[in-house]
Amino acid sequence: MVDIISESIGKDNRKIILVSLENLIPFMKEMRSKGFDHLSLVTAVDRKDSIDVVYHLHSMERNEYVVVKVNTKNSVVPSVTGIWPSANWDEREQYDLVGVKFDGHPNLKRLFLPESWVGHPLRKDYDLSKVQYINMDEDGEDYVTFDAGDGW
Amino acid sequence: MSDPWIELNIGPQHPSMHGVLRLKAKLDGEIIKELEPVIGYLHRNAEKLCEMGYYCDNLVYFDRMDYVGAMNMEVGYLEAAEKILGVPPPDRAKWIRVIIAELSRIAAHLVWAGAYGLDLGMLTPFFYCFAEREKILTIFTEACGSRQETNYMSIGGVYQDFNDKIIEEIKDFLATFPKKLEEIYNLYVKNDVFLSRTKGIGVLSKEVAISYGVTGPMLRASGVEYDVRKAEPYLFYDKVNFEIPISHKGDNLARFLVRFEEMRQSLKIIKQGLEKLPEGPYFNPKAKKSMMIRMRGEGEYYARTESSKGEFGVYIVADGGVKPYRVRVRSPTFKNLSILPVLSKDVMLADMIAISGSIDLVFGEIDR
Repeated sequence: MVDIISESIGKDNRKIILVSLENLIPFMKEMRSKGFDHLSLVTAVDRKDSIDVVYHLHSMERNEYVVVKVNTKNSVVPSVTGIWPSANWDEREQYDLVGVKFDGHPNLKRLFLPESWVGHPLRKDYDLSKVQYINMDEDGEDYVTFDAGDGW
Repeated sequence: MSDPWIELNIGPQHPSMHGVLRLKAKLDGEIIKELEPVIGYLHRNAEKLCEMGYYCDNLVYFDRMDYVGAMNMEVGYLEAAEKILGVPPPDRAKWIRVIIAELSRIAAHLVWAGAYGLDLGMLTPFFYCFAEREKILTIFTEACGSRQETNYMSIGGVYQDFNDKIIEEIKDFLATFPKKLEEIYNLYVKNDVFLSRTKGIGVLSKEVAISYGVTGPMLRASGVEYDVRKAEPYLFYDKVNFEIPISHKGDNLARFLVRFEEMRQSLKIIKQGLEKLPEGPYFNPKAKKSMMIRMRGEGEYYARTESSKGEFGVYIVADGGVKPYRVRVRSPTFKNLSILPVLSKDVMLADMIAISGSIDLVFGEIDR
C-alpha cells in the first residue's frame, strides 16, 4: 500500500484521492494492477501559486471511477505514459496549454500550437493582449511571429 | 541517421481527410512504416473561451465541437454545468433532451456513413444518407430555428417547448426512416468493393483499445460492452429499454455494423421517449433569463455522457464566481485518433484511409 495524503468524496460522488508527488508513480502502478485499465482524462488546473494535475481513472470491468490528484509547485510531474499509453496525447496537450512538464514522457512536444509559441494559454497569468500570428516556413513547419504583415 | 523510407505528407487539405488532419507518413513502397498525425489546425482553445464567459454563454462553444452531432455536446456540458449551479431541469425538458440527443446521434452516424462511403469510392449512399439527415435537421429547425449549431438547450431546460408540429414530424420520421435505413444498409453490405475494403482491415484488439482510451462505437466493435448511457445513466436513459450492440471482430466492418445497429436502437429510444413525454414546464424557473449571468457555482464536477463518437466528458472546476474557473473537455475522437499510428503500422496506404475514415473524425472536437 502506497501512502496517500487524503481521501474525500466529490460533488459528483466520485472518490478523490490526493497523493504526494513522489508517491504518484508507485500509487498509479498499484491502481493499474487493481484493474483501473482506462485512464480517461488528464487535467492540469492552474491554481496561481501551484498546479493541480487531476487523473480520472476508470475500470471497465467494475465500472468504477476514481479521481487522483497531485499538486506541484514547480510544474514538474512524473509522466504516467508508461502505465497507460492514452496519457501520451493528454500529457502533451496539458504541456502545451498549461505548461506542466511531464518528466519521463517519450515525446514531450506541443500538440496544438506551434513549437515556438510564447506562453501557455490556460495559465491564469497568460497575456491575452499580445497577439501571435502563425506563419509557415519553407519546409511546411509552423512558426510564430508577432508581426501581422510578416509572411504570406 | 537516415532510414530508407520515403517521407510523404498527407493533408491538412486533402480530399480523403475529414477535416484538417495532417499526416506525416514514412513509406516503404506502399506500406506505411511510421505515421505521425499533426493536429491543431482548427484549434481555438474553447477551454480558455469557457473560462472567459458566463455559464450560460459557454454552450455555444460546445455546439461547435462535434458540429455534426451538436445536441449531444450540449447535453454533455449541461450535465456538468447544471450540477455545479444547482438548477436541475424539469422532467419534460429531460425527456425532450433524450429525444433530441438520439435524433442527433442518428444524424451524426448518417454523416459518417455517407462520408465513409466517399472514402471508399462509393458516391451514391452519400445522397441517401444526407437526404435522411436533412429530415432530422428540419426537425431541429422547427425546434430552435437552426440546423447544425443549434444552441437549443439552455441551463435549466430547453429554449423552446415541443409543439404538436414537431411531435408530428418526429412521428413521421419514425414511420419512414426504418425502411430507408435498411435500404442504405443494403447499399453498403451488398457491395463487394465495400466488403473487401473493410473486412479484416484495421483490426483493433480489446486490450489495446482500452489502454489507449478508445470509447464509443469503436470500442464496442472490439468487443467491450461499454456505453455510458448504461454504465452511468444520465437524463432518463435508465427508464428506456435499449441494447448495446457489440461485435468481437474489431475491424472496419464491425465499426460500420455497430453504428448501424446503434441507429436502430436510437429509434427505439425516441419512440419510448415520445410515449413517456410528460406534460409540465420545460424550464426551471430558477434559471430565468435575467438571473442567468448572476448564477454562481461551487465545487468541481465531472460529467460523462455518450456522444455519437464515444465518452464525452466535461470537467468543470468552479471557485464560487459567475464564470467557471477551469473547464476541461474529454473529447472521444481525440483519444480515438491517437490509435491511428498503431492501427496503420505495416498496412497499405489506401487501407490507412479506410481505417482513418472508420474512426469517425470530427475536427471541431479534436482540436477544440
